Amino acid sequence: MTDTKENIKSFLPDFCNSRTVFVLILVAELLAIILTLAPLSYNPINFTNLAMNSLFIQWVTLACIGVLCAFRKQFYMYNDHWVATISYGITILVTFVLAELTWWLVTMSSIDFNVPQYEHYIFLLQYEHYLFLLRVMGISAITWALALRYFYIQHQYRQQIESESEARYQVLQARIKPHFLFNCLNTIASLIRRQPEMAEQAIEDLADLFRASLQDNRDSHTLEDELTICKRYLRIEQHRLGKRLQLDWQIPTLPVNIKLPALSLQPLLENAIYHGIEQLGEGGTVLFSCVVEEDHLLITIKNPVPERDNNTHHGNRLAQDNVRQRLESFFNKDNLLSVYLTDHNYTVSVIVPSPKA
Amino acid sequence: MKILVVDDEQLARERVIDMLAKIDNQITVVEADNGRSALEIANNDQPDTVLIDIRMPVMDGLECAFHLAAMPTPPSVIFITAYEKHAVKAFETNAIDYLLKPVREERLTKAIEKAAIINRANLAALQKLRQGKANRSYLSVVSQGKIQLIPVEEIRYFKADQKYVTVYWENGETLIDESLKGLEDEFVETFIRIHRNALVSIAHIVSLEKNRDGGYYIIMKDNQEKLSVSRRLAVEAKQRMKKFSL
Repeated sequence: MTDTKENIKSFLPDFCNSRTVFVLILVAELLAIILTLAPLSYNPINFTNLAMNSLFIQWVTLACIGVLCAFRKQFYMYNDHWVATISYGITILVTFVLAELTWWLVTMSSIDFNVPQYEHYIFLLQYEHYLFLLRVMGISAITWALALRYFYIQHQYRQQIESESEARYQVLQARIKPHFLFNCLNTIASLIRRQPEMAEQAIEDLADLFRASLQDNRDSHTLEDELTICKRYLRIEQHRLGKRLQLDWQIPTLPVNIKLPALSLQPLLENAIYHGIEQLGEGGTVLFSCVVEEDHLLITIKNPVPERDNNTHHGNRLAQDNVRQRLESFFNKDNLLSVYLTDHNYTVSVIVPSPKA
Repeated sequence: MKILVVDDEQLARERVIDMLAKIDNQITVVEADNGRSALEIANNDQPDTVLIDIRMPVMDGLECAFHLAAMPTPPSVIFITAYEKHAVKAFETNAIDYLLKPVREERLTKAIEKAAIINRANLAALQKLRQGKANRSYLSVVSQGKIQLIPVEEIRYFKADQKYVTVYWENGETLIDESLKGLEDEFVETFIRIHRNALVSIAHIVSLEKNRDGGYYIIMKDNQEKLSVSRRLAVEAKQRMKKFSL
């Protein structure tokens, strides 16, 4: 959770993360292969070259990763331009130092001081030295520039997705169905005359429901809160539907402190009533059950549906998909919501992962 | 004056009834909790005006109004809705009166004063706007001044005979005043045309057989009736039946 948030702040990936390191090593190896394949000559592919290229490139890459990892904390203080400049500078510098080092290591071990025309030899060596540095720095500058650009674009993309889903989250969370709202107000208007106390309670319940839908603090909503919201919602519907709405509420004592997004179960109940109970002349029973498993809770909502009705599910899906999306992004897991439709029943199951003990 | 109040929610009915009593104590009120029971009550009580909710189980308000309009002396109809965007738009374009929940007393008073009979053509236009289910779940015929309903799922087939269409359904045969073409369009998903003069419910077909001279015929459930299929429509009928059984 905290990791992803940190990543969002800076466009650079977390260089201390083993995944990032692995990917970078892989990319570095690809670069080594490209460089080995690049010379267009009749010579067969030279595996010694590949080994040398790999060794050098991996050395540079790992060193850069190490330095960038060490400087990671500092990056969060600057804006993207500075981070880009500094990290680019660091990588170039590291590459330069390592290239120099490599050169001296290689040449020192193989210099022959007894050659004739020693001066000419040294001149050639010097020439080769500069050429080597130039090549290494050129390749490194281009590659690091591409890498930084890639990180930047990926970061932008991720940020865009994040903000889009954030916007959708808010829009859909605020969406208490107008159909429900107006019917509820109508019910209250009717209750005021005949049962003022019931009307008062209905208004309180409605207020709680709205408060939950406006709640911004995502991390502090617990399963208990959600169950309370569900009960209040059902109490309002009970006024409207009377005997047509029967409830089978099977909730055992639940582990406390299970967190989940606000309004992740209530919309499913709303679907059960809107598409199920309300459509049936005689009404029916909504089953709301919760089973505690080893590492998760299984919540099931089951309702009867009209038999010949094959096309009500567009409306269903919108709220359902929204719940699914929010659950999955909250718990960072897939397949948390599943639906079963039989001839007469519609069942939605939700898996709520429980925190590790 | 007699007013029929139709809503599936008791509290919603009560509120309107209370208001009606306040508006005019000469008003007699009858109530129903869905479109189908509303038609039964309309048959017996012959109300002058029907106040009807749109979204209801069994039969919704729009379909009920359509059948009401077929009565020999149809009542005027006022729709009441909580929130049906499409319907409200359609009411406005067709100049049909409607009230929004929670209903205001002065609006209700006005609506009752100028309540008008809605013609069936207007209502047919509204039918099409019903999301998802554009077709009726019942056909209605008027006999001896009363509406009789034929559930569409009980219909085996329609047969056209010069001027009239006969419905063959579980309770016998009934003449209706509708065109085979119109019925075919409306129930395109559940019925197939097998002949110039016959429209058959796919759910009631047992099989498609070939007779000795190469023509096709259909065997129906229950009474093992045989209906001949025109050569031109046989291929399509076969395909539709296959699709349906999947």
